[in-house]
Amino acid sequence: MTAATIVAALLAGAYVVAVLEGWATTGRFQPGAPLVAGLALLGRESVVPRRPDRLLYETAPVLLLAAAVMAAAVLPLSPELVAVDLATGALFVNAAWAYVMVALVMAGWGPNGAYAMVAGWRFLGQLIAYAMLIVMPIATVGMRAESLATTAIVSSQVGLWNAATQPIGFVLFTLAAMAVAFIPPFDLPTAPGELAGGVAAEYTGVRLAIFRLARLVLVVTLAAAVAVFFLGGWLGPWLPAWAWTGVKTLAVAAAMFAAGRFVPRLRAEHLLQWTWKLGIPLALFNIAWVGVTLWWADR
Amino acid sequence: MSTLQHYLVLAGLIVGTIGLVVTLLLLARAVGQTRAEAGKDVPFAGGTLAPKPVWVRYHVRYYGVALLFLAFDMEMAFMYPWAVVYRELGLPALLDMGVFLSVLFLGILYGWSEGALRRQ
Repeated sequence: MTAATIVAALLAGAYVVAVLEGWATTGRFQPGAPLVAGLALLGRESVVPRRPDRLLYETAPVLLLAAAVMAAAVLPLSPELVAVDLATGALFVNAAWAYVMVALVMAGWGPNGAYAMVAGWRFLGQLIAYAMLIVMPIATVGMRAESLATTAIVSSQVGLWNAATQPIGFVLFTLAAMAVAFIPPFDLPTAPGELAGGVAAEYTGVRLAIFRLARLVLVVTLAAAVAVFFLGGWLGPWLPAWAWTGVKTLAVAAAMFAAGRFVPRLRAEHLLQWTWKLGIPLALFNIAWVGVTLWWADR
Repeated sequence: MSTLQHYLVLAGLIVGTIGLVVTLLLLARAVGQTRAEAGKDVPFAGGTLAPKPVWVRYHVRYYGVALLFLAFDMEMAFMYPWAVVYRELGLPALLDMGVFLSVLFLGILYGWSEGALRRQ
């Protein structure tokens, strides 16, 4: 029952995020557009490129969707509304997001097309750039909560949100979350205008619809993770708990899209250099910062 | 819920995801078939035909960073259990982990000085 509610919330969130992304990219607010586009894709031909690796080609969108759903399963809407309250929840979301890279490399390799291939390998490089900035801030969040359960992490923020106590981790995690979901300026694997859609270039019709749905669900899980780990999840006055998580999630997603609109796409090697020369030293400093402040508070 | 039930729910979600995808594929097939036409199934390559299969050796230009990444990824396996017990153990735990992280950070500095973070 709870799982069904989470799935329904996830689909609703994906719809709103699709509207938000359309708004951010085209500048027009079209609340019906995702429905129309989805139905149109269902009615279109789904051409399979010649001599593909059929297994990887067909599996990639499903794997992307499954990875996003797995990540959503451990993120709580409210203390009760969490599909599975795993004791290792914060670790489990990492494991689920790791499959995003696998799915995109599969989508790049599968269709036997040059642009998709380049985009797939490029996303592997992007993983090397963002992965540490995902895992290290989550570790510091776990340090404060003394637990990896996502519900315990939200409860630990009753006094003050983690965004206030660990601002560096918050910023790094949000930027890395944008890179996981390849939101501009980190849209290297799809790179419209450069790689002609990249990993999604050879997907058409219903397969493209599944791919896009998976990507939208992924954006929802990442925005929800920022809200749960750093913005106090369900904590807040007046509104019911689930509404707070929803509002924060959508606000984070909107902020991500809005930020991406004003920044040009980063080159792959520049992304790697920024993350390894600046991001990871900052993430390590964040661990030390959180360690010292927690010790000072517990003293 | 017990842990076993947790994993049953997760397995159910995976099955449900696959079920949704299969339903959509069958629905699309019911709406109409893809017509086989010449040249339609050629992968996009900017207006030219890709002469070779693309599954060739690819120069991974970020291999220097990839090697550093392996070390850091292993380190995270130790970070998570440490993070959970950190407040119990206090400052000595931070110093223990600090030594470990410093060694890894020196690895970045060394790699940086040798040009490992550049596009190869």
